[in-house]
Amino acid sequence: VQREEKQLEASLDALLSQVADLKNSLGSFIYKLENEYDRLTWPSVLDSFALLSGQLNTLNKVLKHEKTPLFRNQVIIPLVLSPDRDEDLMRQTEGRVPVFSHEVVPDHLRTKPDPEVEEQEKQLTTDAARIGADAAQKQIQSLNKMCSNLLEKISKEERESESGGLRPNKQTFNPADTNALVAAVAFGKGLSNWRPSGSSGPGQPGQPGAGPILAGASGLQQVQMAGAPSQQQPLLSGVQMAQAGQTGKMPSGIKTNIKSASMHPYQR
Amino acid sequence: MEAPPVTMMPVTGGTINMMEYLLQGSVLDHSLESLIHRLRGLCDNMEPETFLDHEMVFLLKGQQASPFVLRARRSMDRGGAPWHLRYLGQPEMGDKNRHALVRNCVDIATSENLTDFLMEMGFRMDHEFVAKGHLFRKGIMKIMVYKIFRILVPGNTDSTEALSLSYLVELSVVAPAGQDMVSDDMRNFAEQLKPLVHLEKIDPKRLM
Repeated sequence: VQREEKQLEASLDALLSQVADLKNSLGSFIYKLENEYDRLTWPSVLDSFALLSGQLNTLNKVLKHEKTPLFRNQVIIPLVLSPDRDEDLMRQTEGRVPVFSHEVVPDHLRTKPDPEVEEQEKQLTTDAARIGADAAQKQIQSLNKMCSNLLEKISKEERESESGGLRPNKQTFNPADTNALVAAVAFGKGLSNWRPSGSSGPGQPGQPGAGPILAGASGLQQVQMAGAPSQQQPLLSGVQMAQAGQTGKMPSGIKTNIKSASMHPYQR
Repeated sequence: MEAPPVTMMPVTGGTINMMEYLLQGSVLDHSLESLIHRLRGLCDNMEPETFLDHEMVFLLKGQQASPFVLRARRSMDRGGAPWHLRYLGQPEMGDKNRHALVRNCVDIATSENLTDFLMEMGFRMDHEFVAKGHLFRKGIMKIMVYKIFRILVPGNTDSTEALSLSYLVELSVVAPAGQDMVSDDMRNFAEQLKPLVHLEKIDPKRLM
């Protein structure tokens, strides 16, 4: 019995603290709604609701805890009713209940719900009984299925929007472009380091003579003028090999030249 | 004529070997404005700086297989600024924990007769391009967002054509050798630019 009493006390304390927290958050939410209603944003309201729901959850957990004795088995009986002010009671209830009298007790110690609420509950139970067990089960299942469908849809949307899949045309960079630009800066790929046939110029690279840059969906592509390669341009053929390999448009003439070209692309 | 990896060489005197730490990415033209805004917020507070540079890359072919590469850069919109000569070594690969590309770097300011001097020395111009874009700084980090233009007629910097529909974004730090925590700072900064731009260490040899 001692243990049970201790348990009761402990669970009552836990319950008290939970309820106090709940009261505080409700109070602050009401304050927010009343005073800051013109500045209030939906996420802020959602936050408050989430807080309340979390606290109700923990309250439920406390009540369901195995160490909590069944409060249902406890009975509260008022021992003394007096119309006089009770300072102790005032302190404990933070000034809300000044007098433990005949008017206060029925409200505070009530265990039965309001008559209207009782009516509604009776109505609901008769309705539920009327449907029958099978139909009720079916309804439960369909509700569960709809909820899970909805949850799945929401999580899928969230996942997709994070990966940017929802807005494919809003891609901010193109990896193929990155590679092309880095190659251009690192060793001049795509710049003026190859020339078409017929150009001369001792030691000076000629103009590329490439057509306009076509930016296809995959990024950078180059249209090459398939001129007959000149005789002494190992540089040209070496680089064109690399570039033509990229586009897949290698003219056949260049192949023969590559065999005769030296290995290194940079030799003059 | 390639120098051995710099971190193996003892410091015997002379100048400190500087390394360039580099991260690169790109951004499509239509997203440039958002990137610039973000960079203006993240970087040091200063007037947005634009630049228009003409860079020429010179090669000296020696007996070895790989030629010696020097980069000469001049400013086209700032008259009177010195030319900039730069040597960049081979990137030091192999350390997977290092988040940035690291290579030896020597920077020199020169007078305007740089190209003549290089030609006399035996260098030949391999390629050239025009870079036009914006420059930002954050501490020792330098962020460049620029578009590369190909020069259609050699020597004529007016007839240019954009190389692609993107801007190249480079985050670089020039620091003495051995300071690898620099790459961690760079990576943290690069994180803040996602998902607009993905700055990463790109090995140029992979793109050859």
